Amino acid sequence: MIVGEKITEKWSMDQAAQYAKDHVIDSDKLAEKNIFDFEFLTTLTEKASAFGLPIDFAISKHVFLLFFVSFITVGTIVTLVQSYISHKKNIPNKFMSMIEMMVVYLREDVLKTTIGDKEHRDWAPLIYTIFFFVLFSNILGLIPIFDLSGLIGSLGYKFEIFKEKYNFLYVLSKGGNTVTANINVTFALATISFFAFIGAGIKKYGFMQHWKNLAPSGLPWPLYFVVVPIEFMGLFIRPLALTLRLAGNMMGGHIALVIFITFIFSANAELGAFAGFAIAPFSVALALGLTMLELLVAVIQAYVFALLTAVFIGMAIHVDH
Amino acid sequence: MDLLTPDLGTYIWSLFIFMTVLFVLKRYAWNPLLDFLEEREEDIANSLKMAESAKSDLEQIKDESQKILDQAKKEGKVIVTDSKQKAEDSANKILESAKAKSDEFIVDAKSKIEIEKQRAIKEIKEEVVDLSIDLASKILQRNVKDDDNDKFIQSSLDAMNTDEAKS
Repeated sequence: MIVGEKITEKWSMDQAAQYAKDHVIDSDKLAEKNIFDFEFLTTLTEKASAFGLPIDFAISKHVFLLFFVSFITVGTIVTLVQSYISHKKNIPNKFMSMIEMMVVYLREDVLKTTIGDKEHRDWAPLIYTIFFFVLFSNILGLIPIFDLSGLIGSLGYKFEIFKEKYNFLYVLSKGGNTVTANINVTFALATISFFAFIGAGIKKYGFMQHWKNLAPSGLPWPLYFVVVPIEFMGLFIRPLALTLRLAGNMMGGHIALVIFITFIFSANAELGAFAGFAIAPFSVALALGLTMLELLVAVIQAYVFALLTAVFIGMAIHVDH
Repeated sequence: MDLLTPDLGTYIWSLFIFMTVLFVLKRYAWNPLLDFLEEREEDIANSLKMAESAKSDLEQIKDESQKILDQAKKEGKVIVTDSKQKAEDSANKILESAKAKSDEFIVDAKSKIEIEKQRAIKEIKEEVVDLSIDLASKILQRNVKDDDNDKFIQSSLDAMNTDEAKS
């Protein structure tokens, strides 16, 4: 995407916005540009559209990346944990110590304080999975492996094996590689949190009582005309906030990062090659600093998503506060 | 595709993938890990408790042994002073009895000496009486003159002296 495509084309400053947008959005699902073209997915999509559901099951880049992140997350964590607990001496290695530290921290400072000593164990796997899944996605999004693959794919199309313009490596580089910058993905995560905190309340108080718990009891009755709609809206605003917070943070960071880099191309195109060279160190320095910040944001957003889910579950369980 | 386009396909894929990840991780990572951590924490807590109790036990044992030691020391002291006292007592007794015996001996000896003395005096007296009688008879048998008498007395006294010297 970044270098792969643009070095061969004429750059103008107006392109910067579109260019930055291209960096974060998902790839097209159009059949000829799709990475994986499976017959059964096409028929599934057709069946869904026959029911009037506009669901495109085609595997776009972000879906592919979701699988990729899942394999990395599951592979890393399961391998580390299994080798840790089956090991005779039970001495964690460096990565396992980090995971254990985060697990213990989340349990002590998030799960036990928000959900409670008794119930936290039921919801711990969900919170941990959310945290690590989002964390791995965010951090993977910061590693430009697919930009590199795009460069190789783009340069390689002159060779025999990469004959077609849209070869595998090139298509893989189209669009961003941060799945958590895609609102569909974060909305899916938020949906799971949403059902988790409804489920937590129902599990504790039963179906009817949980919905009654949404509005505080003991208010003068006219107030309920105000409180009930507000609480009802709040119920749906919570997952929406989770969705937009995570996606917005990831998207914003990456857009800023790309814009800083395009300064070089813009200066080069508008003011000449010398200006391009002159501005390059500043651009790279800014991008470097922002990447450091993004690393921090990656961890913080994963933590915030997990924390808020835990808080909402806790609110459903402890209605009194 | 635009930045905020809702895409149900991606949404459903995300749900599906996340649920799978959740299921697998819950089964193979989180639950075993949490069980393991809880077990280990329990272990640590137990070990700490055990260490604490062992420490207090040791303290108690130390105290007890100190007590026993003190007791033994006290008893030892008592035994030593007792035996000293006894030894002194017996020594005193022995000394006293020895003294008493020697006193007895002395008294005995004195009384024996006295008896002997008395006997000797008595014998001497008897001797003197005998001699006086002898002398008287001799005097009476001879017609002695005064000076003869004196001579005679003198010679008798000499004889007596020589007799004494002889004996």
